[in-house]
Amino acid sequence: MGPVRSLRRTNPLTIIVGVVLCIVIFIFILQPSNSDSPARKAAAASNPLSPPTSPFRKQNEKANGKRIPPPVVHYHMNNLTSTSDPVGNRETVLILTPLARFYQEYWHNLLRLSYPHELITLAFIIPKNRDGNAATAALQEQITKTQKSGPEKKRFASIIIERQDFEPPLVSQTEVERHKMENQKARRAAMSRARNSLLFTTLGPSTSWVLWLDSDIVETPTTLIQDLAWHNKPIIVPNCFQRFTDPKTRKPAERPYDFNSWQDSDTAKKLAEGMGKDDILLEGYAQMATYRTLMAYMADEGGDPKQEIDLDGVGGTALLVKAEVHRDGAMFPPFPFYNLIETEGFAKMAKRLGWGSTGLPNYKVYHYNE
Amino acid sequence: MLPRHHASNGYPRGKSEYKETYSISPHRFQPRTTPGAIRRRRQLLVRLTLILIVLFFGFFVWPGASILPVLSLGLMSSGDDFQLETVRYYDLSNVQGTARGWEREERILLCAPLRDAESHLRMFFGHLRNFTYPHHLIDLAFLVSDSKDQTLPLLSQLLEELQADEDPKQPYGEISIIEKDFGQKVNQDVESRHGFAAQASRRKLMAQARNWLLSAALRPYHSWVYWRDVDVETAPFTILEDLMRHNKDVIVPNVWRPLPDWLGGEQPYDLNSWQESETALALADTLDEDAVIVEGYAEYATWRPHLAYLRDPYGDPDMEMDIDGVGGVSILAKAKVFRSGVHFPAFSFEKHAETEGFGKMAKRMQFSVVGLPHYTIWHLYEPSVDDIRHMEEMEKERIAHEEEEKERAERMKKIKEQFTDPNSQWEKDKTDIQNEAMKEKAKAEKAKADAAAQEIETEEETEAAPKAVKAESKVESKAESKGDAKGPAKVQ
Repeated sequence: MGPVRSLRRTNPLTIIVGVVLCIVIFIFILQPSNSDSPARKAAAASNPLSPPTSPFRKQNEKANGKRIPPPVVHYHMNNLTSTSDPVGNRETVLILTPLARFYQEYWHNLLRLSYPHELITLAFIIPKNRDGNAATAALQEQITKTQKSGPEKKRFASIIIERQDFEPPLVSQTEVERHKMENQKARRAAMSRARNSLLFTTLGPSTSWVLWLDSDIVETPTTLIQDLAWHNKPIIVPNCFQRFTDPKTRKPAERPYDFNSWQDSDTAKKLAEGMGKDDILLEGYAQMATYRTLMAYMADEGGDPKQEIDLDGVGGTALLVKAEVHRDGAMFPPFPFYNLIETEGFAKMAKRLGWGSTGLPNYKVYHYNE
Repeated sequence: MLPRHHASNGYPRGKSEYKETYSISPHRFQPRTTPGAIRRRRQLLVRLTLILIVLFFGFFVWPGASILPVLSLGLMSSGDDFQLETVRYYDLSNVQGTARGWEREERILLCAPLRDAESHLRMFFGHLRNFTYPHHLIDLAFLVSDSKDQTLPLLSQLLEELQADEDPKQPYGEISIIEKDFGQKVNQDVESRHGFAAQASRRKLMAQARNWLLSAALRPYHSWVYWRDVDVETAPFTILEDLMRHNKDVIVPNVWRPLPDWLGGEQPYDLNSWQESETALALADTLDEDAVIVEGYAEYATWRPHLAYLRDPYGDPDMEMDIDGVGGVSILAKAKVFRSGVHFPAFSFEKHAETEGFGKMAKRMQFSVVGLPHYTIWHLYEPSVDDIRHMEEMEKERIAHEEEEKERAERMKKIKEQFTDPNSQWEKDKTDIQNEAMKEKAKAEKAKADAAAQEIETEEETEAAPKAVKAESKVESKAESKGDAKGPAKVQ
């Protein structure tokens, strides 16, 4: 008798609850689909043991307590291309960033890239210290925003975060400390190890291009990847500048920042000959005048951004590399390789493997100003 | 007017009227708290919580959230989108590699470069099945390049079988088959593979293949990388644990191969594991930038101590030896070595390429590189052209010898068939002769006896006679039985 009476009697509270529930259900129905498109799903791996450059389905590892053995997967690397039309050929790009500090501008710049985001995988390597923890937290917050609730077009195919202890810990990261000559070798050796760790664990079997982008690059053209790939060069590097306010004129201005992209000089070669096996040549120090031709100083006001020059050393702030160069073994030497280290050593090692480096003096990307 | 129903004693919070004090305006009419209203409210609350529980269950607990399509009337796509994961987090300090990896569930990447290896695959899978290291912790990666035989289909078939194995301990972890051709001109037969002139470019191409394989298959969760050639014939099942226990950055066993007896029974196989020598360093300085020193050829006399030659079959298998160049038959390395950038130089690195260059580069980055001189695995013996020629000769010799034997046997048989066994005849003749002799003797004796005992007739005579008779009867019965045995056999 009770339920019958309660049904007949319309209690205002029941009506309110009912309406609220209806609204909730309708919100659920009408809410824009939170899921990924079928194309993205098709690209997903069925197992967490899969190349990290693809998303994966979580639940497959264990069903009714038993381990399902992962499938046998074929990768047809003969079909892997890296051409001047990467979008048309659906070539995947791996953006690698050694992250010491997280800059919001860096993330915004990434999101603005016009290259199809479903072809982009991001990978970060972050030191395991207090700064690193803060950077990781900030990064993860932004990732959640983009990957979970952001528009599908902005979501990246996959994101990898790696943490690593750097043996000589990168403690003092202030700009002055960082550029002291004595610290350079150890710092850049550690940096090389970080870069190599990141590269060789994330490259996977399907990556066509690798874009090295430092965490303090806060402004690039939105078509960065297409523009650089258009040149169809194994290794290509834009010119890295820094925006600042001129203290004299109080007007915004820009100045060259990355001096690691250069053409070799006889002086530098002679210097290297006189050096021991474990010494390194550094650029941008008065004590060691190399007289190399620096790309940083080759930019012309209003010059053709498509102008190419050959390089012998490259900087790593922004660097687009065909994956096959890395696959052949070109890495960032953490030891003096022909008296060169890190990205400069990389250019040398690539050359030994038969891959040349190219610079674009008038195509600029901008470094954060501390 | 005094409120009659409470606070009459002047205390606003009278003990007895505790409940009433909470009403703000006691003079207003309150809704009657009839039992019916209370019940209805309770029912409402119960229903509300029930609905909430159902919703909660539907969204969070239901496996695969399969209730969602029902609720959303199929407007949303199927439920497994919710399981699509795009973010991966790895802590590389957890995958540094330790001496007892199997206890810490450390993952191993097993890399095997393949070219025209169809004939060795089944043997290799036999080894795979026997590994004692937990299989689900081992990821397999194969690079199949420039193969003209059935390597690829056979490999896929064997791997599918392995992963579908009934025994839950058999299936491995991630399995990648990478197909990539490098356009190799060099043949893989033994002669061209080991010819001196082809070595440098061959080694560089091999290095390239190894690097492609590694860079495509190494993951952030690997603690170890194991390189293994498929043509290893004999190796301990516990080799992974055995090598791991040493806790070195790069470690290799000694590699020998069995030989036919006429070649000495066994031989050192892998000469790429060695210690650097002064001679070799001096030699390296004289060579040009792109030259590659290869071991085991008279052209480069390096006088290096080789791991292979230091083997003592009864030596301690745990003995370690520092080396500079490593051979690629079976290398166990910590994944951090590869992560930090050490690879197989496809160019001349300090005058070395491929695995030897790998050893050199690992040393350059201060990693420990160690060989085990008395821990031996056995490479398959593939005869060289010379060996084959020699073996053909030996085979011919053997066949000739066999034929000779056969011929001899046949001749013997023929002889046997042509001339029947003369033994029985001889026996017969012998007995006949004996009988004759006996008779003669008996006659002679008789005559003697006659002559001697004319005067004395004794029993001696009676004694001798039965003796002769006895002998005669014996011989006769023997001949008879022989004839009997032969007779029925023939009839039948």
